Amino acid sequence: MTRAAVSAETADGPTAGAAGLAESARAVLIGQVVVGVLFLGVWEVAGRQFGHDWTSLPSLIAVRLATWLIGDLWLHALTTATEMLVGLALGGSAGVVVGLVLGRSPVIATVLRPIIVALYSVPLITMAPLLILWFGLDLEPKIVLVTIVVFFLVFFNTFAGVAAIDGDLIASFQLLGGNRREEFQKVVAPASMVWILSGLKIALPYALAAATTGELLAARRGLGSLLAQAAHQFDMTGVYAALLVLMAMGILVSEVANRLERRLLRWRRAAA
Amino acid sequence: MPPRDAVMVADAPARDPRAAGVPKIELVGASKTFYVRGQEVTALQPVDLTVGDQEFVALVGPSGCGKSTTLNLVAGLLRPSRGEVLYDGVPVTALNRRVGYITQKDTLLPWRTAAANIGVALELQSRAVPRAEAQERVAQLIDLVGLRGFENHYPAELSGGMRKRVALARTLIYEPECLLMDEPFGALDAQLKLLMQDQLQQLVHQRRMTVLFVTHDLGEAIALADRVIVFSARPGRIRAVRDVALPRPRDVFKMRFTEGFGRLHEELWDELKDEVAKGVDV
Repeated sequence: MTRAAVSAETADGPTAGAAGLAESARAVLIGQVVVGVLFLGVWEVAGRQFGHDWTSLPSLIAVRLATWLIGDLWLHALTTATEMLVGLALGGSAGVVVGLVLGRSPVIATVLRPIIVALYSVPLITMAPLLILWFGLDLEPKIVLVTIVVFFLVFFNTFAGVAAIDGDLIASFQLLGGNRREEFQKVVAPASMVWILSGLKIALPYALAAATTGELLAARRGLGSLLAQAAHQFDMTGVYAALLVLMAMGILVSEVANRLERRLLRWRRAAA
Repeated sequence: MPPRDAVMVADAPARDPRAAGVPKIELVGASKTFYVRGQEVTALQPVDLTVGDQEFVALVGPSGCGKSTTLNLVAGLLRPSRGEVLYDGVPVTALNRRVGYITQKDTLLPWRTAAANIGVALELQSRAVPRAEAQERVAQLIDLVGLRGFENHYPAELSGGMRKRVALARTLIYEPECLLMDEPFGALDAQLKLLMQDQLQQLVHQRRMTVLFVTHDLGEAIALADRVIVFSARPGRIRAVRDVALPRPRDVFKMRFTEGFGRLHEELWDELKDEVAKGVDV
């Protein structure tokens, strides 16, 4: 009945389609909430019934999260976020610069290729112990790890992006009178932007993984260390709560990336 | 369409007395061969071609006959395999930035709007002008090529003909003394094509530009050029040269129906038709 009433109200305007769309989006949302509540309910009931030493309980996790929120969760989250952001900034900008320069200098790129490929063939996360030995227990080793991981991902993407630039675009720009610096600024960099952004997007979850992996191994602060502490004490509720916080952080990070990409690549959407 | 003289600059550069005797563009036995997977491909057989200062020369011929290669040689994008290419009597050994080159291919920057594409040359150090002047000139050029209302559209949102006009405006904005045009109006509909031809003719006269113009359209070549050069099918060489002695200024809309135009068209078509047939065979 309500549905009929809604369509009768809006059918006469151009917004009818939009209203219909909003309505179906709301239906989807309601469905999702129902599934989520059901899942948590089954978990809670089954846990109480059959014991919850290994699985904890949604209610316990909620209480723990609330305790943390009042306590020092922010400090841990801030630590992890700092490691990520500093590493992203350092590794991302280095990756872009090196990718652009090597992309436009094929000879140097050919010379360096084996070294780069060899370095990248090391599973980068496994460098964490080495970095901890070098840089200690605080932020530095994690920042370095994030930087390395992000650098390679962004570098490879940027390099591929530069290689994909249409040579005629550059030739015609040079004929217009552009010098080498302007060519980088006004053609090479924006033309590679699609690739650079996709490299950064891929790098974001890896950056979070690198930061928390570093913290898992040795740290005084950070979401990874929170997780490690809980695990060492067989505190299942703490483990789940920490994972939930990491999940929230992951969602936040990819949402920011999506928005940034949409904003920066407006010209590309125009083509669709 | 805006008034014709929207952009007619009053201060067209004075004629360089030094260049009076020297041709603007000269190809002396210039040829070009490429290597494609180890095989030698001749794009252009040795060509001798002279374009005088402020002359309008049209190159016609079948596809793949080396017309675009000729323009690339003059622009300095390619070096001749043999022979020489001279501009103002000096060999072209680097990019020739005194020419404006409107390529057949679309080379607009896709992340810039139409207006930003048109203004890009004026942002460059070598052609920098104050921001206010740049904006004014962009607005004039947008009027000239009839793109008002599309300033803020990205190339992907424009039709092929509109993109061609953006490319034309982007080149005209820095007022080059010489234009190289590779089928600039090929993508336009018939009416717009005539309008653009008319505007180009006026602009070339006002700014005293030298033009080397590649086209498939024999009528267009005759309507615009002082001289029409017919290229043979691949490998390209010059098959025929005709002066177009029709008086200027010309009425591009009506001149097609005059006797002189018809005779010249027939004469040149006789030269061209065999080559076009050969070109299709390839």
